[in-house]
Amino acid sequence: MLRFIVRRVLGAVPVLLGLSIILFLFLRLLPGGGPAEAILGQHATPELVAQINHTQGFDQPLYVQYFAYLGRLLHGDLGSSVIDGRSVVDTFLVRFPGTIELTIGALIFAVGIGIPLGRLAARHPNSWIDGIVTVISLFGISIPVFVLGYSMAFVFSVELHWLPQVGQLDPRLDIPVVTNFSVIDAILSGNWHIVDALAHLILPSIALGSIPLAVITRITRAAVIDVSNEDYVRTARAKGLTDSRVNDRHIMRNAWLPVTTVIGLQVGQLLAGAVLTETVFTWNGVGSWVVKSIQDHDFIVVQSLILIFAVIFLTVNLIVDVGYAFLNPRIRYS
Amino acid sequence: MKKRLFSLLAVAILAASACTSSSTSPSAAAPGTTGPAVATPVVTPAVTPAAAGGTIVVGLDGDMVFADPALTSDGNSLYVAAQVIQGLVGLKPGTISEIIPVLAAALPTVSTDGKVYTFKLRTGVKFHDGTTFDAAAVKFNYDRWKAFPKGDLQDNAYYYGAVFGGFGADSNLVSVDAPDATTVVFTFKTPQSNFLISQTLQVFGIESPAALQKDKADTTPLKDNKYAQGQGESMVGTGPFKFSEWVPGDHITLVKNPDYYDAAGMAKLDKITFKPMGDSTAKLQALQSGSIDLAETISPADVATAKSSGLTILDRGQSCNLGYLGLNQSVGGKATIYANKNVRLAIAQAVNKQGYIDAFYAGQGKVPQSWLPAATTGYKAETMPTYDVTKAKASLTAAGLTADKLKVDLYYPSNVVRPYMPDPKALATAIAGDLTAVGFTVTLKSEDWHGGYVKDATNGNLSMFLFGWTCDWAGADNFLYTAWFGYQGGKPNLQFGWKNDAANALMLKALSEPTVDAANADWGQVQDMLATDMPTVPIVNSTPPGAYTSKVQGFVGSGNAIEYFNTVSLSK
Repeated sequence: MLRFIVRRVLGAVPVLLGLSIILFLFLRLLPGGGPAEAILGQHATPELVAQINHTQGFDQPLYVQYFAYLGRLLHGDLGSSVIDGRSVVDTFLVRFPGTIELTIGALIFAVGIGIPLGRLAARHPNSWIDGIVTVISLFGISIPVFVLGYSMAFVFSVELHWLPQVGQLDPRLDIPVVTNFSVIDAILSGNWHIVDALAHLILPSIALGSIPLAVITRITRAAVIDVSNEDYVRTARAKGLTDSRVNDRHIMRNAWLPVTTVIGLQVGQLLAGAVLTETVFTWNGVGSWVVKSIQDHDFIVVQSLILIFAVIFLTVNLIVDVGYAFLNPRIRYS
Repeated sequence: MKKRLFSLLAVAILAASACTSSSTSPSAAAPGTTGPAVATPVVTPAVTPAAAGGTIVVGLDGDMVFADPALTSDGNSLYVAAQVIQGLVGLKPGTISEIIPVLAAALPTVSTDGKVYTFKLRTGVKFHDGTTFDAAAVKFNYDRWKAFPKGDLQDNAYYYGAVFGGFGADSNLVSVDAPDATTVVFTFKTPQSNFLISQTLQVFGIESPAALQKDKADTTPLKDNKYAQGQGESMVGTGPFKFSEWVPGDHITLVKNPDYYDAAGMAKLDKITFKPMGDSTAKLQALQSGSIDLAETISPADVATAKSSGLTILDRGQSCNLGYLGLNQSVGGKATIYANKNVRLAIAQAVNKQGYIDAFYAGQGKVPQSWLPAATTGYKAETMPTYDVTKAKASLTAAGLTADKLKVDLYYPSNVVRPYMPDPKALATAIAGDLTAVGFTVTLKSEDWHGGYVKDATNGNLSMFLFGWTCDWAGADNFLYTAWFGYQGGKPNLQFGWKNDAANALMLKALSEPTVDAANADWGQVQDMLATDMPTVPIVNSTPPGAYTSKVQGFVGSGNAIEYFNTVSLSK
């Protein structure tokens, strides 16, 4: 197992290196202005742009810029924003907790509802129940996140005033920022402010979790039906085992494998989806930061964030692969 | 219940309509002007009883960049700083060019040669850290800015360089002296007629020398600068609100300054929370749901919805911008048809400006009568060409061009909304229609605003294009010289290729006049030249719409979007 993990980690190095080159070149070869134009706004005369590009080293040959970037990267320095001068790591530490909370919220929604729905549909294949579940999953997978987000905000915030729509916490509550995890900060502040933090999580979590919900529902349904048709399940039933025992120990245990794979892959999707969801709900996370940095042509931030995303994605996949061994003892890595 | 059911059913309908919702953000308005928490602000009378105290949540167009205004030039940073930092002079609330003393006790006396300005200062003023505001503090700040070294500090302190012509020895500001605790003397190499109006900019606000030194505010690289990053005792000024907290991307919190020196200007609110909100749809929904109380700007397309939701649209009064149709007389070193004056005149006569304003600006615009907004210092109303198809056709005939020469490209930016250009594509389409009606064959072309449009326009690669300028300060020089027609590196601005040595010389003369009145006479002549030559076609002076809920009272809007919250209160 350890050799497998080491091999996977080493295998990620050329992937990340290649990604860094592609990102570096792609961002700098984009048409239009660079960060100097974003800094200067309407004052961006060619002279001032050239002055800032010189200060920041953007007028150096690309290979010089790349190796300087790579050198910093190898020293663990992800650079600083050209716009506000902040270290990428510092800002990441402020914003990433927000994205983690949102991702966990979306996963709880998607898994918590998707798996029971999938199981329900699988138990009644081709019935009206199955039909309703299929429609729900089609709805989830086909409606864009921002459409769902705005629509829910309109209904539940603007019209019904049931749920908040902006940010992670009500700024009027004076909750001190301690950990940048809004739920934890709310707990620390006492006064039942956790209710406010959780209320803020509901709409963005549903919007972000809608696509994973649909995918997980469909995969669970298919996996359960597949396994249910296996000979050993029929044998188990013939032996007179109860339905719940057959479902839990023979069907679900084997159906977990593809479902776990999909859940792992959805984490990557959630990071991508966070870009839109965080914008719609003014959520202070990494996703909305990506949007802002792209708009500002803040090369350093964008390339560093995408690299971080890649590392997270690879790590989650590794964890999923390792998790297989625990879910299915027949799998052995060497 | 019925309403709730309707709301739930509305999801499906909204799913379709939201697909067409704009997700682009309106740009920040004027990277503005400074101002006071003045002694006697113009306050809109309260309609219903307002409670003292409370927290207002304000949707800001974007996040601050730095917590040190000296290093900023963006509208968001200055909008926040206006509540905290004060300069020697500022603007009367609700106006864009009425200069009033703030930390100065009165407007300065000026030597007859225009080279020496002497200010007497207010007494009894304390910075938020408890230290005393005096002449030495003013000198410290001006000396600090002048001494910014090349690199990060100079790159970000755009305004000091732009106003004073450079840093260090290049600065036109020779010295700032403090002969006694309440007197400050500014001495210039040459007279500078825009000095006073430019000092209303928030970037020239006076910060506590003790705080600047304590947190090493000149530290570079800026990632290590605690003061600029708002992680120390940042933004320490004299205003009615004090800086409290900045969580980047999430919020900025200001709290009431209970020790404010002017009882009449004391803040009514306990706290302001600024929430950066780039997305216009989210901002409107947040207002409707009560998540925020006031939005700095909303999209003009949302004005009707906002009104029908019971929101109040900010009255920003005097415009401080100008949207125009740029005509470049020389692209890539080759003369274009716009070098022909009759062609420019034909275009000016062909465009139906009032029609565009009615259609696209939600009542938030006026037809320009010059190249400046009407409330700008140095403004002179000109006799501008009016919409007249017959005259436009005649002008085009007089231009003597063949039909194939009248095939033109009209560029408009995509993925952007500007106060002077809320719907660039629709505006360009309408202009193209009007030009076609008089004999042009127009091809519409677009580029992404950030992805090349600005760069191509400013580098002179676009022949006819939509563009605009939001004032830094409401002076003629800021529009006519800085933005458009001042020669750059001894050559005409590449945007227009308009070679006019006489106008350039007159602008330089205006800048160095000893008095504002003398300068204004020069600026008037420059506008006469422009009206005669029509190098560009002014389309609109707009005011960026913002909105607030019925709870908000006492808010005074301003066309340059530098607005003060000390007069604001919230009803119960």
